[in-house]
Parts: sequence; C-alpha cells; structure tokens
Amino acid sequence: MKKLKLQPKKLFDTGITYLIILAVSFVFLFPILWLTLASFSRSGSIYSFDGFFPTAFSFDSFNKLFNDTVMYNYPQWFLNTLFIATMSALLGTFLTILTAYCMSRFRFKSRKTLMKTTLVLGMFPSFMTMTAVYLLMTQFNLVNQHWGLILIYAAGAPMGYMTQKGFFDTIPNSIDEAARIDGASNAQVFVKITLPMAKPMIVYTLLSQFVWPWSDFILPSLLLKDKDLYTVAVGLMSLGETEFSRFAAGSIFIAVPIIVLYFLLSKFLVSGMSAGAVKQ
Amino acid sequence: MKKIKTKPKKQTPVLVKILKEGNKNVFASALCMGAGQLMYRQWAKGLLFLLAQIGLVAFFVLYGAGAIAGFFTLGSVEANPWYGTEGDNSVMMLIMGIFAFIVLAVYLAIYWLNIKDAYKTQKRLESGRAIRPFKSELKGLLDSNFHMTALTLPILGVSVFCVIPIIFMMLIAFTNYGGNIIPPELVDWVGLSNFGRIVTLSQFAPTFFKILGWNFTWAIASTALNYFAGLGLALLYNKKCVKGKAFWRLFPILAYAVPGFITLLAFRFMFSYGGPINQMIVDGGGTAIGFLGIDAKWSSRIIGLFVNAWLTIPSSMLLATGILSNMNNDLYEAARIDGASPFKQFTKITLPFVVFATTPVLIGQFIANFNNFGIFYFLRGGLYMDGYFLASDTDLLINWLFNLSIDNNYYSIGATISIIIFIITSVISIAVYKSSASYKQEDTYK
Repeated sequence: MKKLKLQPKKLFDTGITYLIILAVSFVFLFPILWLTLASFSRSGSIYSFDGFFPTAFSFDSFNKLFNDTVMYNYPQWFLNTLFIATMSALLGTFLTILTAYCMSRFRFKSRKTLMKTTLVLGMFPSFMTMTAVYLLMTQFNLVNQHWGLILIYAAGAPMGYMTQKGFFDTIPNSIDEAARIDGASNAQVFVKITLPMAKPMIVYTLLSQFVWPWSDFILPSLLLKDKDLYTVAVGLMSLGETEFSRFAAGSIFIAVPIIVLYFLLSKFLVSGMSAGAVKQ
Repeated sequence: MKKIKTKPKKQTPVLVKILKEGNKNVFASALCMGAGQLMYRQWAKGLLFLLAQIGLVAFFVLYGAGAIAGFFTLGSVEANPWYGTEGDNSVMMLIMGIFAFIVLAVYLAIYWLNIKDAYKTQKRLESGRAIRPFKSELKGLLDSNFHMTALTLPILGVSVFCVIPIIFMMLIAFTNYGGNIIPPELVDWVGLSNFGRIVTLSQFAPTFFKILGWNFTWAIASTALNYFAGLGLALLYNKKCVKGKAFWRLFPILAYAVPGFITLLAFRFMFSYGGPINQMIVDGGGTAIGFLGIDAKWSSRIIGLFVNAWLTIPSSMLLATGILSNMNNDLYEAARIDGASPFKQFTKITLPFVVFATTPVLIGQFIANFNNFGIFYFLRGGLYMDGYFLASDTDLLINWLFNLSIDNNYYSIGATISIIIFIITSVISIAVYKSSASYKQEDTYK
C-alpha cells in the first residue's frame, strides 16, 4: 500500500542524513587530503606550508621516492610489504575461516575449552611476548627473513576467529543439513556450500589480514635487520624529519592498493548474502 | 524404530573400562605404540603409530630430556671469556624447556589415542563387526572427524607462536631476569618475590594504581564510542534514502586504508607546537597551545580518544555492515506492519541482533583498547613525568610495560605486571562473555 508522496518529514529526514554523511566524509577525508597535498609540495619541508597546505606543488617527492633509492629503497620496501601481506592474508584467512567454521558448526568435547582458551590467550598484551617470539625465530633461523614474519602473522590469525564464527552462527544450519542428507561429507559441505556462502566474510577477513601486516611496524622492526628487507612501515619510520613530503608520498602510495582492493571487492562486503537462503 | 529415552547413566571413565576389559592387544599398545594395531593386522596404522613412537622417543633421548632438565636448573655453567667457556644461556634454556614440555604433552596425547584406538577395535570385534578398514578411517577424517583434521594446523600454529611465548612471559615473572641479570649472566627462579616487590615498593605501587584508573576509563570510553559510532554509521549508509552507498562508504574506507602509524604521526604533527593548527592560531593572533605537551593531560587524552575513534570506526562500520547484510529483512516488514517506529525497530530488532553477533568482538575490542599501545606511543611517546615511575599521565599499562621492559630492561617486573593486567582483563571478559546471549544461546538465529 505504498503511495509516492513527498512528505516534508521525510524530506527533512533525508536532508539531515545527507548533512551527517557529508560531515562524516569531511572528517575522514581531511587528514588524508592534507597528507596527499603535502606529498605534492615542492619544498619538501613542512615549515614552508601556509597553514595546512603547501604553497607550491610538484611531483618531486614521488620522483625522489622511486628514483633516489640509494639511501631509502622505497620500491624494494614496497615489494617486500606486498609479498608479506599477500602471503599472510592468504594463509591467515584460510586458517581463520577453517577455525571459525569448525567452532561454529561442530560440537565436540574440547570445544568450549578451546573457545575459552583462545579468549584468554587473546587477552595477553601481544608485544610482551615479542622477546620470546624473537628468541624462537632465532632458533628456527627465520630472523631477517620474510617467511618468518609471514609465519607469525598467519599463525596468529586464527586467534581472531570470533568475528567469523559470529558470522557462521547467523547462517541457517538447515542448508548444511540438506546437503548432508544428500550424502555430502563434512569436507564437501565446507568447500562447496559454506565457502561460497561466506564470501563476504572471507573478503572481510582477507582485507583485515592484509591490512595488519601492511601497516604493522613493531614486529618487522624487530625481525628485519637489513635495510633492503624492510617493509614500508619500518622504512618510512626510518625517514628523517626533513623528509616530510617523501614520508607523505610514501604513505599515500601504500594506501592506494587497499583502496583499489576495496573498489574491486566492495560488492562482497555489503551484499545481502543470505537473501536466497532458507530463512527461519 | 523409536529411541527409548532413558536417564543418562553415569559413565565409567574410559580408562577404568580399558583397565578392566582391555585384552592383550590393548595392553601391547599400552607398552609400545602401534603394537596392538599390528597384532590386529592393521599394518598401515600400526606402522604409523610405531614410527611416531620411535621418533618421539629418539627426540627425548637425544634432546628433550636435557631441555626439560635445563628448564628447572636454568643453566649452571657461567660463561667465561678468559677460558673461552661458552656458558649456559638461561633464557634460551627456559624457552626450549617449554617447547619440550609441549612435545611431551603431544606425545602423551598420541599415546592415549593409540590405546583408545586398540580398545575400540577390540570392542568392534567383540560386537561382531569387522575391523574398520584404514581407508574408511581416512575418509572419516574428512567427514565425521573433519573438525579434528581442520583444527590441527591452526592449533599447531597458535601453540608455537602464541602459547609458548605467553607461557615464557608468565614464567619470566618468577625469575630474576632483567636489570643486570641478562644472558650471559645466569638467571634463577625466585618464586613470588616480584609480586611482593610491586605491592611493597613505593617505586611501583603509586604509578601502577594511577595508570590503572586511567586505563579503565580509556578502555570503556573508547570501546563504547567506536562501537556505537561504527554501528550508527553502518545504519546511516544503509538508509533507503541514501543514494550512492558505495561512494559514501569510501570515505571511512579511505581512513581504514591508510596505515595506522602514518595517521598517528600525521595527527601528532597536526597538533604539535609548530603544526598547522597552532600556525593558524598564531596567525589569528593567539598563542600556540601545547595540545600534546607535558602539561596537557586532558587535551592529550581527548585527542587520543578521537584519533583512536578515527582509526577504528571504519573497521567497526565494515563489521556492522557485514552483520546487517546477513539480517532477516522480513522482521522489519513485520514490525512495520505492526506499526513499530524506526526507533523501536532499532532497539527491538537491530540492536539485539547486532549485539548477539558481535558480543565476542566487543569484548575483543575492549581488550584491544585496554591494551592500545600505538595511540599514545606515537602521539606522546617517550615522556617520563614526576609522580610516575618511567611513565606519563596518558600512558596505559601497556605503554608502561613497554617503557619498563623494552626501554629499561625491567623484564621480570614487566612480566609480573602483565600477569596482573591479564588477571584483571580476563576476569572481566569471561564474566561478560558467559552472561552474554551469544554464549548462552548460540543457536538462536539459526
């Protein structure tokens, strides 16, 4: 019984909504805009800026970033970071989704114990364990190697399975049961039914597992000693104060891949995936 | 056939049953892994168990036993450069001792599995069924036992990279590791004396309680702000009247995409003494304000709160969007027909659902904020203040730990404090979690 009417109340509501959205967008955009413009500043030093923004613009910082690699090998850092983040995201997501699925769908003896244990383990301040992690890595001969970092990121990922489990908990069980009746094994149910349905969650997990190594700096600064092995985060931290626009340029450049990823994957993040599924 | 419901009888433990009823094959398995299985002519399985037995025994003879002994002594030979003797590295011995204990636990678990397996085969034969073929057991690993197969790798990884380091850290609290006593000096067990030092020494206690108070305020305020702002934003973008949802969502995602430490350094600069905000104040005729300076207790705290919100809201918005997309829209239809106001719909449908799905995450966020190291490390790191022992008035316990143990080598004191923090946070979160709906009624929305 809907009729198209222009109600003043609705119009007002829409107006307010857009006002808030614009304000929120501005708040989120402004610091990034500031950094972006700073990266295009001609002088490089922040003190020549007029208030927030530089007075003259050029591409010098980016040029320097990629060509002046003697002191700061940014292209190499970028490739290192890309490699570490991609591998840890893939491995970590695989382990996390697997864990979450098992915890959500199976009822076994040690399940509640495991859930409580992970919750408890997650409460330890992570960097207090850095000393031990470092000692372990020296034993495995993985200091100063990218695979050491990947191993730590991926192995730690299932600790955060709770979000994914919460998601699986909201998917109706009846779909699984139907497949089981049709003779599918649990492994088949997982691969053929659960995984395709969990696409939004997988994408979310991939993104968050990717972003974490992408921007982490404590662990890589501890484990990577050679300047050529640095990740972007560690490398940018090592830049001096006078290199502000190089810092800004480097920062802007590593934000780009994630923005692109979001563009490509956004439909998974927001689609109403259970639209066609059984509802109870 | 109908199942007849009976009262569940108290089950005799498997161990007692095995001791009473087990045949010679079961006991052969108890003596040496795989023996019983081989006697049942289960060649593949028997050999696998036997190989595990040989490998693990070899490990303990060659290495494990020594590592466990080292765990208790923490080394007895001091390094002496004069004679060129390489001393024991106590810290390394501690960590390898923990490792050996974990291998021992795994060994015992496999042993138990092997005895139970032989007993199961015995029962099968007694009830007149044939021995289960190895192939069908392997298939079971992908079906009825899928969870065991699937969880092996995650549990292994977590054990090595999370559990061992955590046990290590906890044990450090009971040693005198730190200060001058770091390898090659020998470290010793000192019992509970570190806990005593924290309670009695005026050096630590006042700082501890001051920081603890602020830490709680911070964790509650920032978690509430981020969670509800994220949910609010997700609902806002989900409104029917909003056109171009993907475009508007891009702004918070932009913030999410920029690595946290960059934003933090950028914000630090923005609020710094010579930064753009102060430049504008000076240009307008005012005097520069030290927003993050040494006297700026509350302005730094509030800036920290909002900077943290700026960093975290995008991810909590993404999460809420994901959860909302999984929601049953029929409920809203029904509510509309019944004449529920949008606000009613929010409090009665949206909120319970979202809170149900995110309670564990909420606890996680609380803990993450409680231990939020980055914010004040980047915004205001390295300040030591009067009235605080190696800390500043914005530092959280985690920052204090960092100052104590990484910057100043107070390893054992740091570890002791982190155990205290851990007890506080775990009691709170277990209590919240156990009383939450998502623990009690996991299957509500299935």
